[in-house]
Amino acid sequence: MMKINVTTRVARRIIPVLAALWLLASCGAPQPPQLEGATLLQPDRRLAEFSLVDHHGEAFTQDALKGHWSLAFFGYTHCPDVCPNALGMLKRVQSLLEARGEPLPRVLFVSVDPERDTPQTLAAYVGYFHPSFVGITGQDAQLQRLTRQLGILYGRAPGGEGDGYLVDHSAAIILFNPEGHYQALFNVPHDPQRIARDFLAIRDWYEASR
Amino acid sequence: MKQPLRHFLLLLCLALAGPVAAADIEIHDAWIREAPPGAPMLAGYLCVLNRGQTPATLTGVTSPRFAHVMMHRTETRDGVARMRHLAEVTLDPGRQECFAPGGMHLMMPAPEQPLRAGDQVELTLHFADGDSRRVVAAVRTP
Repeated sequence: MMKINVTTRVARRIIPVLAALWLLASCGAPQPPQLEGATLLQPDRRLAEFSLVDHHGEAFTQDALKGHWSLAFFGYTHCPDVCPNALGMLKRVQSLLEARGEPLPRVLFVSVDPERDTPQTLAAYVGYFHPSFVGITGQDAQLQRLTRQLGILYGRAPGGEGDGYLVDHSAAIILFNPEGHYQALFNVPHDPQRIARDFLAIRDWYEASR
Repeated sequence: MKQPLRHFLLLLCLALAGPVAAADIEIHDAWIREAPPGAPMLAGYLCVLNRGQTPATLTGVTSPRFAHVMMHRTETRDGVARMRHLAEVTLDPGRQECFAPGGMHLMMPAPEQPLRAGDQVELTLHFADGDSRRVVAAVRTP
């Protein structure tokens, strides 16, 4: 009688713990990744429709983001310092991932100067960094439909040569997941090693969460 | 005063005033970023060290290869990158200021004949005291 009582009491304590562990293992989502600099969006953000053009002159909508990871930087070709820095940095991110045999995220350079940056201008510009980089431009209203959803800011500022102008713009890099949703943000300062590691951590977490 | 003597004295003054100031300024690590084809603007970088006892003020840069050279500073505040024109850059005695990616830089319109890695470009730095210094910048990728 006594023996049965002890067994029952132990069982009463252990069963809920085992049940909780089983629940965690079977239905619990994996823990969000430990990130070095990226900001993860949980849940990811679905994008409302936008319609832009890539450097081949093809339509670039949210469907073009589906099926692969994408890293997007927003800038303009009249920008001689920040933009080549960022694209050179993203090229290094790709080289680091390539050296590890990882599939590469697509790099998008979205022009926030649609008046001066045509698809032709962008084709030569992005191709210099990597043949796989995609340049994107479009009408200002459509561009804003995308940037506003991402918290990307841009605006003209006086300066430049002659009657030209400068464009102030967010320096963040946006990560889209293969569903085409806004998944994470890499703020400045940008370090290629850290971005590559954070990207892999986010991707592995995303895949394990499916 | 006779004309030749006046010329001689003028030259002597220039010789004494010019080189002394120039010797106090050291310029190094001048380079120009090779730009993507069709990129309308180029960026140049360099370091300027003032070895003198008095402040030196860099008022501008010129180059035979560029229509003009602007001094700019990239500032990133609240995640937004802004490029701003600099009218001058003051170098305190013993101080070095570097134009470097993501910070101060020289901005030049791309010349018709594109510059490629390995090309050499002459830049002249002008100072408020009338002094100027020439330096050769190599075009390269970072």
